[in-house]
Amino acid sequence: MTASVAGLDRSIAVRPRARSTSEPRVVRWTLIGVALVFLLLFLVVPLVSVFAGALAKGFGPFLRGVRDPDTLAAVRLTLLTAAVAVPLNLGFGIAASWAIAKFNFRGKNLLVTLIDLPFAVSPVIAGMVFVLLFGAQGWAGPWLRDHDIRILFAVPGIVLATTFVTFPFVARELIPLMEEQGTEEEEAARVLGASGWQIFRRVTLPNIRWGLLYGVILCNARAMGEFGAVSVVSGHIRGVTTTLPLQVEILYNEYNFTAAFAAASLLTLLALVTLAAKRWVERRREDT
Amino acid sequence: MAIQVRNLVKRFGAFSALQEVSLDIASGELVALLGPSGSGKTTLLRVIAGLETPDSGDVLFDGEDAIRRDVRERGVGFVFQHYALFRHMTVFENVAFGLRVQPRKIRPPEDEIRARVHELLGLVQLDWLGHRYPAQLSGGQRQRIALARALAVKPDLLLLDEPFGALDARVRKELRRWLRRLHDDIHITSVFVTHDQDEALEVADRVVVMNEGAIEQVGTPEEVYDHPATPFVYSFLGDVNLFHGRFEAGHVQIGESSVRAHPGGSVEEGEAMAFVRTHEFEVVRERIGNGALPATVRHIRALGPRVRIELDRTDDGKMIEAEVSRAEYDALDLRKGDQVFVSARRARVFVNSD
Repeated sequence: MTASVAGLDRSIAVRPRARSTSEPRVVRWTLIGVALVFLLLFLVVPLVSVFAGALAKGFGPFLRGVRDPDTLAAVRLTLLTAAVAVPLNLGFGIAASWAIAKFNFRGKNLLVTLIDLPFAVSPVIAGMVFVLLFGAQGWAGPWLRDHDIRILFAVPGIVLATTFVTFPFVARELIPLMEEQGTEEEEAARVLGASGWQIFRRVTLPNIRWGLLYGVILCNARAMGEFGAVSVVSGHIRGVTTTLPLQVEILYNEYNFTAAFAAASLLTLLALVTLAAKRWVERRREDT
Repeated sequence: MAIQVRNLVKRFGAFSALQEVSLDIASGELVALLGPSGSGKTTLLRVIAGLETPDSGDVLFDGEDAIRRDVRERGVGFVFQHYALFRHMTVFENVAFGLRVQPRKIRPPEDEIRARVHELLGLVQLDWLGHRYPAQLSGGQRQRIALARALAVKPDLLLLDEPFGALDARVRKELRRWLRRLHDDIHITSVFVTHDQDEALEVADRVVVMNEGAIEQVGTPEEVYDHPATPFVYSFLGDVNLFHGRFEAGHVQIGESSVRAHPGGSVEEGEAMAFVRTHEFEVVRERIGNGALPATVRHIRALGPRVRIELDRTDDGKMIEAEVSRAEYDALDLRKGDQVFVSARRARVFVNSD
């Protein structure tokens, strides 16, 4: 379906423009010019300046900045956080969108609204919620202290805050896709004798795989880049509870610009890889 | 496999989809569930398949309770209205699916699966399409692949939901005949849902006419067409004209004409509905007796061997649709605007006693 629609778009695009929709040359070039200038000022210049800042004093200082033990620890923590948060939200996203798209139940609309909550609320507030819950004065604070469990200002808190903030990405991507596909193929598989697991693995999953991957890529990008919520629960213990974005801030506040930009360039690279992966998935999706 | 349906009730919220429906289907029969949309025919089919659980009532397969059996264990082949082919699998894998998901203990070996799939693709005459994807097939081809897929697991019962609904007229006609022949060859108990009377009358051994969640009549195509049991069946099957009048002393008074009628039952008099099929009219230029209604010719469609004439009744302006043979039409030499007399050779009358 998608393939034929995309093909149609292309065939329309190569047809000569109808007179009624073509603007005078001046208007066209002005519009394109404005868009290009805007793009240059707000996207290209900052992007280039990150790398320029990182390499301002040459390649040696840049490498030293990247190899700094605290920065490396921050990279490890960032990867660990994403490695926990993304699979969690992948599982939740599939479960929630399956339930929402294929079944009718009481409170369905409430669930759909709740999934969007992390998008609607400021990440700082998300962090504050966890402080309220697990902080020394929080609801679970005394119990946690008695059992010697550290959540706040430790890795679990960072993972929790990140998971909360990246909660909607996979589900948001899958719900419309699954709703559009309906339940007929699953019913057909059931009549043909497939078990629930077989239906999921052989019918549902292949149909949603590109949407799923797309959601995971976005989820991962956000999980690695999250600042606000993590900043509140982290406690900023250098080399222990600083993720890469927090590390950038610390270095920047210490006027260690080369190191700050070196760390920032790692995050920027991640963004570029994400964009490339996203584009690739989009292309694959159109083809299948 | 023989199927018995007993007092099925199914509600969706406030909507009553099935009201105490009972039906017997003999082994090897080809049965059509015919009715307008919302008549409950698809719900009945889905309950038999196990895709829908009834609120009450029983479904028996060869005398054994099927309601508590899971869909997977009912041995049913189901062809969905929009085919529901697995879009990411080739035609071959679609047909093989039912065999591949069988538990290891009973699953046939790979070469047997291949042989069976090729045999089925041969049966639906599409062996050359095995490597294609559903999106690359025409509607009629998808339809036949869906049928092959349903037959792969050797079901005891084949259920088809509007099997020809989404196809264009010519393919539809071709597939109808083809399904009939296929059924004659493999003799599997089959039930199909349709809203198209021609389809039901042409293909099925028996027709079940449904309306508003209940069965109006069950019978062979000839029975339901020639002897409709209820006003609904009459109006739903074939092109029909409806007249309202008063039944008295063996006659229905329609306008200024009086038509003899045998409504059956013991009703002596009352408000009556008289149904007359388009081909049951006689159109004449001179009035004979008092059974004829004066009318004006409004429109003539002379295509093929039968000529359709639309007439306006002179007394109340209501439309009458009549159909005459080419020869009659030529003899009458009708023109638009001509004054004629229309009389019913036959009328089926339903009387509400007062």
